[in-house]
Amino acid sequence: MALETPIVEMRGISKRFGELQALADVDLTVHRGDIHALVGENGAGKTTLMNILYGLYRADAGTTRIRGNEARIAGPRDAIHLGIGMIHQHFMLVPPLTVAENVVLGDERGGPLLDRRGIEARVSELEARFGIRADPSAKIEDVPFGVQQRVEILKVLYRGSEILIFDEPTAVLTPQEVDDLFQIVRTLRGEGKTVILITHKLREVMAVSDHVTVLREGRNAAQLVTTRTTPAQIAVAMVGRELREIAARSGTPGDVVLEVSGLTAPSDRGGPALKGIDLGVRAGEIVGLAGVGGNGQSELAQCILGLRDASAGVIRVGGVDVAHDDPHRTRRRGVAYVPEDRRVEGLVLPFSVAENFILGKQDRAPYARRGILRADAIRREGARLATEFDVRPADPDIEVGSLSGGNQQKVVLGRELSESPKLIVANQPTRGLDIAATEYVHERLLDQRSRGCAILLISSELDEIRDLSDRIAVMFEGRILAVLPASEATEDRLGLLMAGHVEAVGERSGTSPA
Amino acid sequence: MRQPSFEWTRGPAIPVVSVLFALVLGGLFVWISGHDPITAYAALLRGAFGSPYDISETLLIAVPLLLTGLSVAVAFRAGLFNIGAQGQLLVGAVAAGWVGAQWPDLPAIVLLPLTLLAGILGGAVYGGIAGWLKAARGVNEVITTIMQNYTIVFVMHWLLQNGPMQAPNAFGTPASAPIGAGAVLPVIVPDFLVPSSRLHAGVLLALLATVAFWFLLWRTSLGYELRAVGLGMRAAAQAGIDPRKRMVIVMAIAGGFAGLAGMIQVSGLFHRVYDGFSAGFGFDAIAVALLGKNAPLGVVLSALLFAAFSRGGTLMQSDAGISSHLVEIVEALVLFVIAAETVVRAVARRWGTPVKAVS
Ligand SMILES: Nc1ncnc2c1ncn2[C@@H]1O[C@H](COP(=O)(O)OP(=O)(O)OP(=O)(O)O)[C@@H](O)[C@H]1O
Ligand SMILES: [Mg+2]
Repeated sequence: MALETPIVEMRGISKRFGELQALADVDLTVHRGDIHALVGENGAGKTTLMNILYGLYRADAGTTRIRGNEARIAGPRDAIHLGIGMIHQHFMLVPPLTVAENVVLGDERGGPLLDRRGIEARVSELEARFGIRADPSAKIEDVPFGVQQRVEILKVLYRGSEILIFDEPTAVLTPQEVDDLFQIVRTLRGEGKTVILITHKLREVMAVSDHVTVLREGRNAAQLVTTRTTPAQIAVAMVGRELREIAARSGTPGDVVLEVSGLTAPSDRGGPALKGIDLGVRAGEIVGLAGVGGNGQSELAQCILGLRDASAGVIRVGGVDVAHDDPHRTRRRGVAYVPEDRRVEGLVLPFSVAENFILGKQDRAPYARRGILRADAIRREGARLATEFDVRPADPDIEVGSLSGGNQQKVVLGRELSESPKLIVANQPTRGLDIAATEYVHERLLDQRSRGCAILLISSELDEIRDLSDRIAVMFEGRILAVLPASEATEDRLGLLMAGHVEAVGERSGTSPA
Repeated sequence: MRQPSFEWTRGPAIPVVSVLFALVLGGLFVWISGHDPITAYAALLRGAFGSPYDISETLLIAVPLLLTGLSVAVAFRAGLFNIGAQGQLLVGAVAAGWVGAQWPDLPAIVLLPLTLLAGILGGAVYGGIAGWLKAARGVNEVITTIMQNYTIVFVMHWLLQNGPMQAPNAFGTPASAPIGAGAVLPVIVPDFLVPSSRLHAGVLLALLATVAFWFLLWRTSLGYELRAVGLGMRAAAQAGIDPRKRMVIVMAIAGGFAGLAGMIQVSGLFHRVYDGFSAGFGFDAIAVALLGKNAPLGVVLSALLFAAFSRGGTLMQSDAGISSHLVEIVEALVLFVIAAETVVRAVARRWGTPVKAVS
C-alpha cells in the first residue's frame, strides 16, 4: 500500500502575493482512494494550494505529480483533463436550468443540441452509482443548498473526475445535509475516487478522513493518519498551542430588548416567508434561532434590520416600534447586524480593511468631522481592530477581497462587535472561521451578553447554538415551533423540531415569546 | 484610504497600451489608404500642440470634455451610467445664458457667480430628475438620460426660435440675446504671450472641478457612501447607506459637472446660446471617463488626448490631406480596446498573479 505511487504529489510548492508569502515549500501527498483532509487556520493557504492544483493559480516554485507523472497545470481545463475536479464554496450553477442541464452544461462532449431525456437518463445513472439523490428535472432555483452542492458533485463526476476537491463544503449545510454529504463522500471512496476535503471542523475530519495534512502560516505543520491521532493533536498542529475551553457561563436576563409579535413577511419569490412570528430577546440573553436554512431565519433578521418590509406585525427594539424604519434608523437605535453572506452583504470587497471597518459609521466622529473623512483616525482604528480581531495580515490598507474567507468574516465581526450595541442580530457569525477564531467570536458574544446586550443568534451549527444560547427557538416553514430553555434542548429534540415535528415540544416548555 | 490618482498609476498599463494599440492600428489604416502614417501623426501632433496658439485651442476643447467626463465618471463611481451629460450641459448652458442675459448690467462680481450657479444648478436638477426616477420608480437611468438629451434639444428649439429666449433681432441661426459683460469669463492668456488666444478662465474652473471631484469622492463621507454604493450596493444598504438617496444625489452632482461645462461654453466662448450649440459631447464624455478609469488624473489626461485628436485631426486633414475620419477610427479603436479590457485581464491572469480573490 505504502509503495503505491500517490495519485497527487505536490512538492515544495511556494506562492507569493506581493509582500505576502501565502505558501512556503509545502508538500501534499494524497493516495488513490483516500479521503484526505486539508486543515489549517484562516489564511493558512488551503484554498491557495488547491487553486494551484486546479490550475487557477500558478505556483512560484515546486512540482506537481499526478499518478507519478509531472504535470503542468496551466488552467482548469488541464486539471479536468487530468481528472481533477473542484467543488467551489460558491456554487456556479445556472438557477433557471434543471439539475440535469446544469450537470452537462459546459461539457465539451455534448453536441449543440440538448437531448433532454438522454441527459436525464445519464444523470440518473450517475446518481444511482454514487448514491446521490437529486431530481434531474428539478430547477436549481427550487432546490436547497445541500442539493445544489450535490449537483456540483455530479457535474464534476460527469466530467470523469477521479480526484475531487471540496473547499469547505460543510460550511453552508445543515447537520442532516452534512451527514448526507459524508455518505456520498464515502461512496465515492468506495468507487475508487480520491477526495481532498478542506474543513475547519475537527469532528468532520475524525469522522470521514483517512489522512490529514495540516498547514500553518503557509507551511506544512503535520501529516497525520486519522486513526492514529486525536482532535487535540490536530488542533495543536493547526494553532501551535493548546486550545482553551470556553467556560460555559449563563446570562442574567434583564428587560426585553427585542420584541417581535405577529410578524408576517413575504419572501423574495412571492409567498410568505414569515407566518406570524412571536419572539422576545432580553438584555443579557442569547436566544439561538435553530432551523434548517431557508425556513425564514434570514428573512426574520432582514425584517428586524429594516431591509425587508413586513406585511403585518410589530417589531420593537427597546420599546420603540422599528417595523417601518430603514436600516439607517434601526442601526442608530443600537442594533448591530452580522449578515449571512459576507461577500455580498457584509463587505465592500474592493474597499480596504480600514474602509470596511467604518462602513455605516463613515459620517460619525471620530471617522469624520462635518462630512470630511479623517484618514488618520480611520487608519488607526483599522489597524487596532485588525490586530484585535486577529485579521491576517493585520494591514488596514489591504483590499478585503484579497483576504481569505475566514479573515473576511473577522472584518465583519470586528465592525459589528466593537461598539456597544443594544441588540446584535448575528446570522451565521462563525461560518468559515477556524477553531481559534470561532472561539474568539464566541467569547466576544458572551462578553457582549455580560455587558447586557441582547443577542439573536442564527446558526445552522447546533453545537454553537447549544453552547451559547440561554433559550433556543426552532424555526420551521416561517413559524417558530418552540422556544426551549437551553437545558431542555437536547440534540435529538432539536433535530425533530427542525424537521417540523411539533410533538417534540414536550409538556413543560411552552412557546411563549419571552 | 486609497488615492485615486494612485489607482490610475497602479494600473495605467491598460489605458496606455490600448491607446498605443489604437494608434498603431490607425496608422495601418492610413498606410493601406496610401498615405504615410508618420506624416499623418506628425501633422496631427503639430495641429494639436505645434504652437502656443494651437495648445491654447486644444485646451479650450479639453475643458468641456473634462467636465462632462467628470460627470460620467462620478456617476460610474456610484454604479450609474450617465448617458445624459450632453443634455445636462445644454440645460446648464440655457440656465446660464438666461441669467447672463436677464440682468446684463449687473457687475461681474455679482453676475458671474450667479451665472455659474445657474449653470451648475440647471444641470444638477436635470440630472437629479433621472436619479429620482431611478430611485423612486426604478426607471433605468440609461433610458431616461437618453430621452432627456432629446427633450432639451426640442425645448431649445422652442425657447430660441419663437419662445421667451429668442433674441429680438437675431438673423440666421436662432440664438438668445448676448449675456452681459459681467457674465463673461475673461481670457487668461495675455496677447503678447499668445496672440488672439481665446483661452478663458473656464480652464481654471475645470481644474478646480477636478480637485472637487477628487475631494468629494475620497475625502468626504458622502463620497465614501457613493463609492460604497457603486462597489457593494447590498453591503452599503444593510449598513444604513440608502442607495436610492445616493442615486439621486450622485446624478445631481453628475448633472452639476455637465451643467458647469455648459455655463463655461456660454460665458467663456459663445457669450450667448445658439440652437444646436455644443452638440456631441455626451459620447466623447463616456469615452473620456472610461479611458481615464473614472479617476481624476486619468480623466484629465484622456480629455487632453481626445481634445488633441479633435483639433489635430482637423489640421491633419488640411495639412497632410488625410481624412479626419482617421481620428474617429483611432478614437473608436481606443474605446474598443478599453471595452475589451476584460479580455486583456484574462490574458494577464494567465501570466501573472490573478486579480480575483478566492476565499
Ligand atoms: N488573490 C490574492 N491576492 C492577495 N493575497 C491573497 C490572494 N489569495 C489569497 N491571498 C492571501 O493568501 C493567504 C492564504 O489564503 P487562502 O485563501 O489560501 O487561505 P485559507 O487557508 O483558504 O483560509 P480560510 O480558511 O480563511 O479560507 C491569505 O493571507 C490571503 O490573504
Ligand atoms: Mg479558503
